[in-house]
Amino acid sequence: MLERLFPTLSRFRLAVQLLMLVVTVYGSVFVGSYMADKISNALPALSCAYDQMNGGYCVLIPTQHILHHRIGEAMVRAQQLTLTMVLPLLMSFAVFFAFFFVLGKAFCGWICPLGTLQEVLGRVGRRFGFGLRRLSADDLGRTERVRPVKWLILLGLVFLLPLLTGLGVTPHALGNPYCDVCPARIATTLLTGNTEQFAVPIDDNVKFVLGATANFLFGFIVLAALAVRQPFCRICPLLAFNSLAQRLSPMRLVKTRHDNCGKCSICTDACPMDIPEISREEGRKAYSEDCTLCGRCAEYCPQDGTIQLKWGPFSLFSSSRAYYKARVAGELPDGSVKPLKFVRAAGKAAGTDA
Amino acid sequence: MRRLSLVLLAGLLAAPALAQHDHGGARPAVGEGRGWTGAPLLLPAGARGQREAAQVKAVGIQADSLAVYAPDGPPEALRRDFPVGPEGARIASGSPKLGNYHWLVMREETPELVKVASSVWYFGNPGPSPRKLLAESRHELEIIPEPLPREHGSYRESEKWHFLVRLRGAPLAGQALNLETEFGTRTSFVTDQSGVATILFPRDFRPPRDKAGGHARQSAKFVLSTEKIENERRYLTAFNLTYGPDPERERSLAWGAGFCLAGMLAATPLLRRRLAAKAKESTDA
Repeated sequence: MLERLFPTLSRFRLAVQLLMLVVTVYGSVFVGSYMADKISNALPALSCAYDQMNGGYCVLIPTQHILHHRIGEAMVRAQQLTLTMVLPLLMSFAVFFAFFFVLGKAFCGWICPLGTLQEVLGRVGRRFGFGLRRLSADDLGRTERVRPVKWLILLGLVFLLPLLTGLGVTPHALGNPYCDVCPARIATTLLTGNTEQFAVPIDDNVKFVLGATANFLFGFIVLAALAVRQPFCRICPLLAFNSLAQRLSPMRLVKTRHDNCGKCSICTDACPMDIPEISREEGRKAYSEDCTLCGRCAEYCPQDGTIQLKWGPFSLFSSSRAYYKARVAGELPDGSVKPLKFVRAAGKAAGTDA
Repeated sequence: MRRLSLVLLAGLLAAPALAQHDHGGARPAVGEGRGWTGAPLLLPAGARGQREAAQVKAVGIQADSLAVYAPDGPPEALRRDFPVGPEGARIASGSPKLGNYHWLVMREETPELVKVASSVWYFGNPGPSPRKLLAESRHELEIIPEPLPREHGSYRESEKWHFLVRLRGAPLAGQALNLETEFGTRTSFVTDQSGVATILFPRDFRPPRDKAGGHARQSAKFVLSTEKIENERRYLTAFNLTYGPDPERERSLAWGAGFCLAGMLAATPLLRRRLAAKAKESTDA
């Protein structure tokens, strides 16, 4: 039964993604308003706090608020940094990383609503024949060059500016700058029929610039996702945040060496993040900071047991030649659907000819 | 790095004026209630400086103490009575993890009249939800928000919210619930069979445009009141809090759509170049 419903890992992942999209965007409808608030406090998930119907909460929001209102303001008041100021931040991190300890970076590939939306748009793009654009040396440029951007956004917009705002150095409008430029805020609220976040603030110049940036990013991503897989994930600070704990989590990608590695590169073709290391490296180096544990590389590796998704000692999914053959018959590594071939039945053809 | 350190140091030494930012659902706005309503009110007094404590002033009601109910905690923390002085009552959350919303009640009682003023205070103290807190009946006639605004949420102009009216713990159907706002709106709603009135917050905001520091979220006071006479005794109960302006007042959908379109335009080459390449491939074939 399950095999018929979910014949491939990708189909199973899509089902999980769609379910989590409903939970993280419309969660309060199912669990109630107060329960959704509690879940929001307990379960960091990329579901916007600006969405009043959601059942999740993005860890980047409390991080910015704690830096702004607790640490920054307390430092100004007390002129010193004490454990009581840092404790709320450490608690936020602890809850966040406890969550990620179980799930690892699979959050990005299996739960994140913005990731799901981009993936759905990518499927639409493939269906409508928009050719895939890659972050590779022979197309849009090497993916490694984009990687520092997410770290800069994490450090600048999530950590530094909120802290400086709490200290009174930067204006209050820069208290949660990442949220103000985050396209997920716009996407998830629009999904609930709320246009408030789509409208740009016009009462403050700083807010206007941040809001304009968010809308620009949102528009860019909506269209770019038709041709480029997961365009925002590549600069998402949450990906950077959770990659801090990727080596600690039992949920991980494991790759062993095979003679063909680096030659066929099908795994990199299948990777929605265009990670070249998965093809040419092994061990820790193959599990890149950009990996979202979607498992496509394992699905499209034609070698038995070379790439695995593992949780601790347990192998959740392992590459195999038989699976690869069946998988590639339905969908190409880049996500394109294989064109249908209409072949006349041999007997019927013979009868017609006669 | 050195420059960054200097900036941080400058920030520390500057010790700029601090103001608080409303995380919470809704908090009462600071100020007097006289002039726009005769209903009893519980209002914050003075500047907010701490998350754990607040000064609350009673208007139109007199009592020796203000009761503060927590959503959870040990028996001594579930209800705490704070003495009311000339400056009001200094209230505080009992201990950590009790829950964000606390229920504030003041009661004035004479043989002819039972007057109850109620409100909520959001302490920023994560814990249990206020469901149990609101379900418990404490006075004869009560107005209960269903639900309270979530964190980062608030009552706002043009929005509809539900309020339950209870008499001795039971829903009171067909009961008039009066809404008065700081901006002069006076309107009345009637509870349905389940004792719930659907309140439409009026679009009457006249923002003071106080931008000092950029911190203060604009809000205005409102009060819901209802009364019932039983056995020649009058029960008057009020619930007051704040509501905010329609956010669309300070936002522009047109600008939003414009920048979104600009982003889409910027992404267009990603689609066009590839299509051109495909066309070339077809031609070559």
